[in-house]
Amino acid sequence: MLKKILRRVALTLIVLFGVTIIAFVLVRLSPGDPAVQMLPATATEEQILNMRERMGLNEPYIIQYFMYLGNLLKGDLGFSFHFNMDCGALILARLINTAKITIIGVLIALIISIPLGMIAGIKRGTAVDTAATAFALCGQAMSPVWLCLLMILIFSVGLKWLPTQGVGTWKHMVMPSLCVGFSFCSLVTRMLRSSMIDVLQEEYITATRARGISKFVVYVKYAFKNAILPIVTISGAQLGLLLAGSMVIEQIFNWPGLGQLTVTAISSRDFQLVQSILVVVAIIMVLCNLLVDILYTFIDKRVSFN
Amino acid sequence: MSRKDFIRRMRKSKLFIIGLAGILAIALLCFLSPLFAQFNPTKSELSNRLLEPEWFSKGLGGHVFGCDSMGRDVLTRLLIGGRTSLLIAFSVVIITTLIGLVIGLLAGYYGGVMDLMLMRVCDIMMALPTLLLAICVVAVMGASVTNLVVVLSITGWIMVARVVRSTVMTIRNSEYIKAAIVLGIPNYKIIFKEVLPNVVSPVIITATQAFGGMILTEASMSFLGLGVPAPAPSWGAMISDGREYIATAPWVVIVPGIALMLVVLAFNFLGDGLNDIMNPKNKD
Repeated sequence: MLKKILRRVALTLIVLFGVTIIAFVLVRLSPGDPAVQMLPATATEEQILNMRERMGLNEPYIIQYFMYLGNLLKGDLGFSFHFNMDCGALILARLINTAKITIIGVLIALIISIPLGMIAGIKRGTAVDTAATAFALCGQAMSPVWLCLLMILIFSVGLKWLPTQGVGTWKHMVMPSLCVGFSFCSLVTRMLRSSMIDVLQEEYITATRARGISKFVVYVKYAFKNAILPIVTISGAQLGLLLAGSMVIEQIFNWPGLGQLTVTAISSRDFQLVQSILVVVAIIMVLCNLLVDILYTFIDKRVSFN
Repeated sequence: MSRKDFIRRMRKSKLFIIGLAGILAIALLCFLSPLFAQFNPTKSELSNRLLEPEWFSKGLGGHVFGCDSMGRDVLTRLLIGGRTSLLIAFSVVIITTLIGLVIGLLAGYYGGVMDLMLMRVCDIMMALPTLLLAICVVAVMGASVTNLVVVLSITGWIMVARVVRSTVMTIRNSEYIKAAIVLGIPNYKIIFKEVLPNVVSPVIITATQAFGGMILTEASMSFLGLGVPAPAPSWGAMISDGREYIATAPWVVIVPGIALMLVVLAFNFLGDGLNDIMNPKNKD
C-alpha cells in the first residue's frame, strides 16, 4: 500500500514538473519583453537593460527555468504588472470566489441529479425517465455562454428577480452557481440513470429483494452504492470542465473569480500571471484527482489503490 | 460483425438515424448557403439595426431571424458561421484522431518505457483544462482559424490516445498476437493487419463523441474573443455580440444558441447511436 501511494505521489510530481515546463515555454514564446512591461512607458533604454539584468532575462533559458522553478518552490508565484501586486495573493483571493460558486453549483447539481437519475433508472420508460433524459441531453449540448445569457434573459430581464452581474448579496451568487453546476448536473443524471439500470439487473439485487427487504431500502442502500461508482471515477476529470466553464461564466456575470482573472490576464498580456494561474490550476486538478483515487478505494473495496 | 448485420443495426438505432439526419441537414444548409443567401454576412447596414425577425412573411427574401446590432442578417451569419464551426470541428477531429491513433498504438503495443513516457505526456496535458490551455496558446500565437485548429488539436488527442491504448493493450495480450510474434511476423505488419482493425470502432465512436465538445469549446473561445477573428461570423462571436442587447433584441443571442445546441445534440446522438451499433457489448 505504502509503495503504491509513493508511486502515485511520484507520478503526481512528474505531472507538476511537466506543467511548469509548459507554463515556462508558453511565457517565453509570448510576444513582448517582460522587462518593458514591468517598467513605466517612459523608461529609458538603460533602465530596461537594468531591469532585464535584475529579472535574469539575460541568462540562458535553462538557467532561467531553474530560477523560475526555485522561486516556485519557495512559494513565490511572481509579480503581476497589470494588477501591480503579488500573483500568489491575487490568485488566492480569486480562487476563493471561484470555489464559492463551484461548491454551491456542484451541491445543487448533486441534490437535483442524484434523485432524478435514480428515479429515471428505476422507473425506466415512464414520463419521469423521458423528462430526465431530455434534460440530461439538452444540458450537455448547451454552451455555457448561451445558458448564462438565457438565465439572464429569464431571471433578470423577464422576472426581474436576480441582478444581472456583480458581487454582494446571495442573489448575485444564484445564477453563476446554477450555470457552473448545470452541465455537471445533466451528466450525473444521465450516468446515474444508466448505471442504475445496469445495477438493478444484477443478481444481488434480486436476492436482496427476495429476502423481503423493502424496495426503498434496496434502491437507496444496495443499488445506489454501486451505481454511483462510475460517477466518482469521472468526477476528477469533470473538475477541469467546471473550471473551464467558470472562465466564461465569471466573465458574463462579472464574478471576480479565477476564470475572470485568467481572461483579464490574457487580454492585458500579463503572462507572468497567466503562468502562475496555469501552475495553480494544475496543482488543484492533480490534488483533486489524487483525492478521487483515494476516495474510490474506500467506496469500492474491489479495487486496490494504484 | 458482417456488413448486413451492421446495416440492420444501423436501421434499428433511432439515435443514429436522428443524429445523422440532423447533421446532414445542418451541413447541407450551411455549405449550400451561398446558393440562396440573400445578404452579405459581414456588411453592416445600420438602417436595419436590431431589426426584429420577419420570419417567413417575406419568404426567404426577408430577414427571417432579424438583424444584429450592426444591421447584418442573422440567418446569413448563422449559416456562414456554421460552415466555419463545422469545418474547424471536422479538421480538429481528423487531426486528433490521427495523432491519438499513432500515440495510442505505440504506447499500447510496445508498452514499457514508450508507454510510460507517452502516458505521462497525457497526464500532464490532462492536468490543465482544455479551454484554459487553448486560450493561453492562442494568446501567444494570435487568433486565427488555423491557430484555432492547431490549439484544439494539441489539446484534443489525449482522449483518443487513451482509448486506443487501452484497446491495444487488451489485444496485445491475446493468444493470436503472441502467436504472430513467435512466428516472426514483423511488428508493423501485426500492427496494421491484426491490431488496427480492432481499434477502428472505438476510435470512430470516440471521435464522433468528441465533435460536440469541440464545437462548444470553439464557441466559448470565440465568445472570449480568442476564436474566429471578427468580422467573420461564428456562433460564439454572434452570441457575444448580442449580449449587450439581450433585453431589447433577444433573438440575436437566442438563434445562434439554439443552432449550437442542435448541432451538438445531433453529434451526441450520432455518437451514442454508433456506440449502440458498434459496441460488441450491446447485443440486440
